Amino acid sequence: MKKKNTVLSVLLIIFFVIVALITILPLLLLFVSSFRPGSDLMRYGLNFDVNWATANLDNYQLLFSGQNNYFTWYKNSLVITVVQVVLALFLSACVGYGFAMYNFKFKNALFACVLVVMMIPTEVIILPLYQLVIKLGIMDSMWGIILPYVVVPMLIFFFRQYLSGIPKDFLDAARVDGCTEYGIFARIMVPLMKPSFAAMGIYQGMSSWNNFLWPMIVVRSQTKITLPVGLQSLMSPYGNNYDILIAGSCFAIVPILILFICFQSYFIEGMTAGGVKG
Amino acid sequence: MEKKSVFRKFLYSQKAAPYVFVLPFVLTFLIFFAYPIVDTIVMSFQKVSGGGNEWVGLKNYQTLLNPVFYKALKNSILYMILSCALMIPIPMFLATMLNSKAMKAKGFFRSIMFIPALTSVVVAGVIFRLMFGELEGSFMNQVISFFGMEPMVWLRRTVPVWIALLLLCLWRWTGVNMMYYLSGLQQIPGDLYESADIDGASSIQKFRYITLPLLKPTTVYVLTISIFGGMAMFTESYLLFNGNNSPNNVGLTVVGYLYRMGLTQNNIGLGSAIGVVLLIIVLILNVIQLILNGTFSKKGD
Amino acid sequence: MKRKLVSSLLCVAMVATMLAGCGGSSDSGSSDSGSAEDTSSSDGETQGTNTFVDGGTELSLWTFQELHVGFWTEMADKWNEENPDNPINLTVTTGESHSVQQKLLVACQAGEGTPDIADIEIGYYGSFLKDDYLLPLNDVVEPYQNDVVMSRIEMYGDQEDNWYGIDFHLGASVCYYNMDIMNEAGVDPSTIVTWDDYYNAGLTVLEKTGKPMCAVETADLFLPQLMMLEKGAQYVDEDGQPNIATQDHADVIDFIRKMIDAGICEIAPGGGFHTEEWYGHLNDGGVASIAMPLWYMGRFTDYCPDLNGKMAIYEIPVWNEGDTREVLQGGTGTSVLKFTEHEDLAKEFLAFAKLSEEGNRYEWEELGFDPIRSSLWTDTSITENQDNKFLSYFQTNPFDILVKNGTEGLTAPNISGSYSATYNVLVSTTYANAFELSTDQDAMELLESEQSTIVYDE
Repeated sequence: MKKKNTVLSVLLIIFFVIVALITILPLLLLFVSSFRPGSDLMRYGLNFDVNWATANLDNYQLLFSGQNNYFTWYKNSLVITVVQVVLALFLSACVGYGFAMYNFKFKNALFACVLVVMMIPTEVIILPLYQLVIKLGIMDSMWGIILPYVVVPMLIFFFRQYLSGIPKDFLDAARVDGCTEYGIFARIMVPLMKPSFAAMGIYQGMSSWNNFLWPMIVVRSQTKITLPVGLQSLMSPYGNNYDILIAGSCFAIVPILILFICFQSYFIEGMTAGGVKG
Repeated sequence: MEKKSVFRKFLYSQKAAPYVFVLPFVLTFLIFFAYPIVDTIVMSFQKVSGGGNEWVGLKNYQTLLNPVFYKALKNSILYMILSCALMIPIPMFLATMLNSKAMKAKGFFRSIMFIPALTSVVVAGVIFRLMFGELEGSFMNQVISFFGMEPMVWLRRTVPVWIALLLLCLWRWTGVNMMYYLSGLQQIPGDLYESADIDGASSIQKFRYITLPLLKPTTVYVLTISIFGGMAMFTESYLLFNGNNSPNNVGLTVVGYLYRMGLTQNNIGLGSAIGVVLLIIVLILNVIQLILNGTFSKKGD
Repeated sequence: MKRKLVSSLLCVAMVATMLAGCGGSSDSGSSDSGSAEDTSSSDGETQGTNTFVDGGTELSLWTFQELHVGFWTEMADKWNEENPDNPINLTVTTGESHSVQQKLLVACQAGEGTPDIADIEIGYYGSFLKDDYLLPLNDVVEPYQNDVVMSRIEMYGDQEDNWYGIDFHLGASVCYYNMDIMNEAGVDPSTIVTWDDYYNAGLTVLEKTGKPMCAVETADLFLPQLMMLEKGAQYVDEDGQPNIATQDHADVIDFIRKMIDAGICEIAPGGGFHTEEWYGHLNDGGVASIAMPLWYMGRFTDYCPDLNGKMAIYEIPVWNEGDTREVLQGGTGTSVLKFTEHEDLAKEFLAFAKLSEEGNRYEWEELGFDPIRSSLWTDTSITENQDNKFLSYFQTNPFDILVKNGTEGLTAPNISGSYSATYNVLVSTTYANAFELSTDQDAMELLESEQSTIVYDE
C-alpha cells in the first residue's frame, strides 16, 4: 500500500511538472525574447532560439530611456487602479453592509438589482454608457474610466455574504453605548472586515489593472491611456515598436508577480471570491 | 440651525441609515445601468445622428438579418459552448489530481498554475499572436514541425484560429477554475470517502458518486461565468488579430460586431440593436440556467 | 445629467463627513481622490506643442500618428516666424488610430469637444464628409492652386467642387522591384509596361529564382484597388452607394487569381502589407516586387534594412499600352472641423503647413511623403540630395516617376458616402474569400454576395 502511494506520488508530480511547464512556457518565451531586438521577432518569429552571445538589454534601456510614453501609461494605470480600488472598496462595503445588517423597504428588490447587474455583461450597454460619459463631460479622463464602475456588484455581494455571518446583537450593544449607525460601521465593522478588504482589494485591483475595452473607448490621448491600451497601441502598423512592446509586456507582469509571491493566499482568495459560496 | 439638526437627527436615525448605506448603489445603478439599458433599447429603434434621433421602427433589426451578423452570433455561441466544454472538465480533473492524498507540493503547483490569470489579457494576446505567427520560426510552427508537420498559417484559417482562441482561454483560466474546484473539493467531508473505502468502492466509483455530485454548486458557478464570459468575448479576438477585423471574420464575435457597427462605423442605432439582441440572449440563458438548477426557490430567502 | 453627477458626489462626500462626525478618521478616502485628480490634470506634458508665443491663438489638432506631431509643431513655429502679428499656440494630441477617429466622430455628433484641426484616415473620411462636419478649404487652397497637384486635394471634395481636406499620405502608386531577384531572373523592370508583361516577367522570375513576383493582401486592398483605378472603376458609385459587384472588379479578381494559380502571386504573409510577418518576408527577399504608393518608401527604410540599395522604383504596369499609369492611393487627409472658433486662422495654418514649400520639404525629408508641390520634383537640392535616406536607399529616383506622371488626370479613389462601410467589408471578407478561401467561386457571384453584406445607412 505504501509503495503504491509512492509510485502514484511520483507519477502525479511528473504530470504536474509537465502541466506547470506548459503553463509558464508562454511567459518564458516572452521573457527570453525581451533580450532580442524587435526586428528579430519580425524576421524569425517568437521562439526560444536565442543567440545568447548577441542577447542584450537594449530593449530595457530603451524602455527606461524615457523617450516613450511607457511609464506615463504605467503611472496612469497605477493611479486609476489605486483610486478605483479605494473608492470601490469603500462604497461597496457601505452597500454590502446596508444589505447585510438592516431590514428596509425595497431591500429585496434592490438586492435583486445587484444580481441583475452582475448577470448582464457590461458590453451590452457600452454604447449608451459611452454617450453618457460624453454628456457628463468626463471623456478622455480618469473619471470616465472609474465612475461608471465605482460601485461593484460583485463586491457588494461578497461583503454582504461576509457580513451576514456576524450576529446582529453586536449592533444593538454598540447602539446602547451611544455610537451612531455610521460610527458602528466605521469603528466596529470596518476593522472586522479587514481580511475581506484584502481579498476584494486584490480582486478589484486585478480587474482595474487589466481592464482593456472600457479604457480603450473612454480615453484618447496618448498621455492618458492606461498600460494595456498603450501596449496594444504599440502593435500599430505605423511604427516599429516591438522592442518596447516585448520588454514592456514583460515589465508589466513583474510587479504583479512580486505582489503575488508575497500575498499569495489573498490573491487566490480574492480572485476566486465568487465561487466561495455561490 | 434648528432645521439642520432635525435633518441631522433624521439622517442618523436607524430608519434612514440603511438608505444612506445603499445610496451609492442606487445612484450608480440608476445612472450607469438602468438609464443606459433603457437608452440602448430606445436607440435600437432609432437612427442616431447629431441633428437629433429619428424613429425608424424595426429597421435596425432588419439590417441585422445579414450573414455577417449570423457569423458573429455563430462564433460567439460556438466559443461559449467550446469554452464551457473545456473549462469545466479539465480544471475539475486537475483539481482532483492535485487534491489527491498522494500529491506533494500542492501549494507550489497551485501557485504556478495561477500565474497566467495574473497577466493582462493584452500581454497574453501579444504572446499568443506572436506564438501563432505564420513564420516558419514562430513557436507553434516549431512545435508542429517537431511532430513532422509543415509550418502553417494559423490566424487566417478557421480551425487553427479556434485552436488559438481556445488555447488562450485555457491558458488564462484553467488555474482560476481549478482553484474554484479545489475549494469545492475541500468542502466535501472526508468521512464520506472513508465510509466509501469501507464499502470497498473504487476510485472511479468514489469520483462518480461522491465527488461529482458534491461539486455541483462549483460546477454551476463555473458554468455561469464561462457562459457569460464566452458570450461577451471580444478582447481576446481583438488582440489576436490586432484589431477588430479578422480574415473572413473568423474571429468576429457579437461584441466585436457591436463595436464595429456602433463605434467604428458610428451607427449607434444598429449597435444598440446588437446590444439588445445580446441582452435578450443573456437573459434567456439566465432563465434556462435558473430553471435547470432550481435556483428560483432558493433565491427567495 | 451633470447636476445629477455632482449631487451624487456630494452625497458620497456627505457620508464621509458624517462618518468623521463619529470620531473615525475616515476622510482618507476623499482626500485620495482629490489628489489623484490633480495628477491627471497636470500631466499631458508629452503632448506636442510649439514654442509658446505670448498672446497667440490657441489651436488644437488631433492626429493618430506620433511622427506627425513633430511636423505640426515645427510648422506652427514656422507660421509664427512668418506671421508675427497673428501667432498661434498649437497643441497636438495623438492617440491610437481607431480610437482617435471614433472619438472624433462622436465629438462631432455631440457638437462639442472637437479639435480645430484633425488628421482623418481615408477609411473614415466618408463618414465625416457625409454629415458635413468639415469646412471647405477652397479659399485658402486657391492661392496655391497652380503649384500643387490638385487631384490630391480634389479627392477630399464633393460634387460641388468644395475641397475639405489636404492629403497626408495620398501618394502616387509605383512598383518597387527587388533588383537582386530581377537581375537573377534576367528581367529588366523598365521593359514591363502592361500587366501581361508583368505576368510573363513573373513566370520568368518564378522559373529562374523560385520566388513569387508579387503578393496580394487579404486584409487590405492596395493591389486590387490599384488595378481598378487604372480601369477607372471605383468601389462606390457617384451617389456614394456601394458598388463592388462590377465587371471591372470581377476582371481584376480573375486576373489576380490567375497570377496566384500560376504561382507568381502569393498571399502576403500576415495577410497585409503592414504586418510583422510581411515585413520579415519582404526584408528576406521573399518576393520580387510590390505595387504600393510612394509613401511606402518609409516602410522599407524602417523595416527592411537588408534591402538597402537593392530596391528600385518603377512605374506601375497598366492594362493596355498607353493607358494612364497615374494612380493615387492611400489617403490620410487633414481637415478643419466646422466647430472651430478660429475658422480662418485654422484654415490658413493648415494650407500653409501642407502646401507651402517649407512644409513640403519637411514632409519629404522627415516623413518620406512625395511633395504635393510639383516645383519640388525638379528642385535638385531635393532630388539629388544623396544624404536623404530615401534617395540613397533606392536605386532609381522616385522623382523621375512623379515628373513623368505630371499633375493632370491622376485617378484617386472615390471616398464618398459608403466608402467606409464598403472598405470594411472588402478588407474583412471580400478579398479573403476571393484569393484564399473561396477561390473556386465565380468572381461575379462572390462580389454580389459580398455587396449584400455591406451595411450602409445614409
